[in-house]
Amino acid sequence: MEVFLQTLVAGILKGGLYALIGIGMTLIMGVMGIINLAHGQMMMVAMYITYVFFHYIGLDPYATLLISMPSLFLLGVFIQMFLLNPLMKVESILPENQVLMTVGIGMVLTEIARFIFTSNYLSVKTSYSTAAIHIGGISFSVALMIAFIFACSLTVGLFVFLIKTDLGRSIRAVSQDGEAAEIMGINAEQIKIVTMGLGAALVAAAGSLLLPIYYLFPDIGGPFTRKAFVITILGGLGSTVGAIFGGVALGLAEAFGATYIGMDFEDMIGLILFLLVLIFIPGGFKRLTKV
Amino acid sequence: MKRAALLVVGALAISLICLGISMAADPIKVGVVLPLTGEQAKFGEIEKNSFLMCLEEINKAGGIKGRPIELLIEDDTGKPDVGRSAVEKLISQDKVVVLSGGYSSSVTYAMCAVAQQRKIPFLVTTGSADKITEQGWDYVFRLNPPVSEYPQALESFMKEVAKTQSVAILHENTLFGQSGSKEFAALCETAGVKVLMKEGYEAGAVDFKPLLVKVKAAKPDMVYMISYIMDAALLMRQSKELEFNPKLFVGGGAGFTLPEFAKNAGDAADDVFSADLWSPKVPYPGAQEYFDNYGKKFGSPTEYHGAEAYASMQVLADVLKRAKDLTPAGVREAMLVTDMKTVFGPVKFIAYGKKKQQNQLPTYLVQWQKGTLETVWPKSVATKPYVYPILPWAEKKK
Repeated sequence: MEVFLQTLVAGILKGGLYALIGIGMTLIMGVMGIINLAHGQMMMVAMYITYVFFHYIGLDPYATLLISMPSLFLLGVFIQMFLLNPLMKVESILPENQVLMTVGIGMVLTEIARFIFTSNYLSVKTSYSTAAIHIGGISFSVALMIAFIFACSLTVGLFVFLIKTDLGRSIRAVSQDGEAAEIMGINAEQIKIVTMGLGAALVAAAGSLLLPIYYLFPDIGGPFTRKAFVITILGGLGSTVGAIFGGVALGLAEAFGATYIGMDFEDMIGLILFLLVLIFIPGGFKRLTKV
Repeated sequence: MKRAALLVVGALAISLICLGISMAADPIKVGVVLPLTGEQAKFGEIEKNSFLMCLEEINKAGGIKGRPIELLIEDDTGKPDVGRSAVEKLISQDKVVVLSGGYSSSVTYAMCAVAQQRKIPFLVTTGSADKITEQGWDYVFRLNPPVSEYPQALESFMKEVAKTQSVAILHENTLFGQSGSKEFAALCETAGVKVLMKEGYEAGAVDFKPLLVKVKAAKPDMVYMISYIMDAALLMRQSKELEFNPKLFVGGGAGFTLPEFAKNAGDAADDVFSADLWSPKVPYPGAQEYFDNYGKKFGSPTEYHGAEAYASMQVLADVLKRAKDLTPAGVREAMLVTDMKTVFGPVKFIAYGKKKQQNQLPTYLVQWQKGTLETVWPKSVATKPYVYPILPWAEKKK
């Protein structure tokens, strides 16, 4: 029973972080109609920003959220304005050549990080990195719980923003039907720029929250891009509520798989879940919730 | 990599001019393949530095029969296919007479197959999966002990001091991890120690807790882990978080002996044991000197991987000196009768069990004590007494 509960707790806490990584990608997916394959690499950039501020100034990783999120917002805006938007106007054989562009951006970010920081492993050690609260034999990692709470509040904040504000409504409008939105007088190009920035800022938050419990090196982006992709598909492309379910589902699947099947198959379990969802509920969890 | 090779050539040329040695002497080309980028780059860096340090000393002392040695160092990036093509390039294009290096077991295995096929002697520095010297390959020589022999010292420690009854084995699912865990499980069974579980994991995982919870529930006396640096650091950090208190945490070499492990694991590294192949206190000529010089030159401590690389260079120099003619076949002949002392220990390539052209060496047990790695077993080379039994995490808090 203790093993079961501990696995459940580990899965949900990790799932919260995964959800935050997935939401950014799904938001971009919804508005732009492309999958951002530089997503994990953007997170890596945010992690390096967090590391630098922690290492040289001693700023707490959670405080650097205030720096990493705006910086990544700007990076996202820059990428969309100067690298992705111009591509949309170009006729090409592949309609999704922006996706290829994101792959390239991911590589460039990785190599820049390697150039500046070398391949060394880096980690930040805070007083709470290995701290845990024990309730009835079950341990709750303090850092993961803080990350979980941040992830939840950022998600709630995002929903309020999407539902209550004009800008949020415009984003949803473009996501639902770009052309109709343009007819209604929404500047779709601008909305895309804002959305990319927003998506990047969200994944930046995930990076800053992850760093105290994980570690950092330039190649860390790839695996997380893959995870974000799986989460986006699980949740249903473009569905923010779906991404939360997708993230938690992936976290739980990995945790239970590791405990009851074997940790050598951790990545495989996530991908099997991915295939099952594609086969049986092709629209992802979005179809079940209808949100 | 071309650039690195050019730099080496450049450095060589300059040192030659400084020493006033005749420039006409043609260098003897030796190929070395190491992971210089990618996840294992840290180990590759220590080994490369050590190779070059030893090379400098050899060439300063006049080289081989008046000819300097030239190292052509290639990057395998930790991938077997890249390693393979690096070896192909060194053989076909650079026409090296002998090869060395080889960090990860999977990469080393692939490279040795090429060397054997092309009949160029390959002196393996680190790649330690048992099967590398069990193929009957007569051009492959191995300096370091195979992974199955890493826990020799640990075995006697378990028997004489810890009186361990049960173990849980965790390993990354690579050639190195699988080979090591299989051999260690067999060793435990013959010693009458119960193996409660043997679990693999995928390197680079974020959360080891589900695995650790399972191990914790099995209540083993000892946990034996075969991992590279960052997985090792996370395993220890999360064990601390879960207040998992076996009597012994032991690492099977690799990640557990690097300074980066302690740096990244923080206080969770304290009291962790590891199998080790070397310590500056070993009674071999030049060992302490190598350790001190490395620290002075590069500003960070070296460990067994570096000693392996330094010793490989010593062996290569000795072999090239003795070789009747500088052809691959001639070098192989000379390598066969090697009998010398290096900083890493005596080197002699012998056949035993299923293995061929394998060097045999004793191993050690080390322990992290307040951020420094101390050799604790066998007692004859111990730098500090061992801390055993270790305190549970909850009582360690200062």
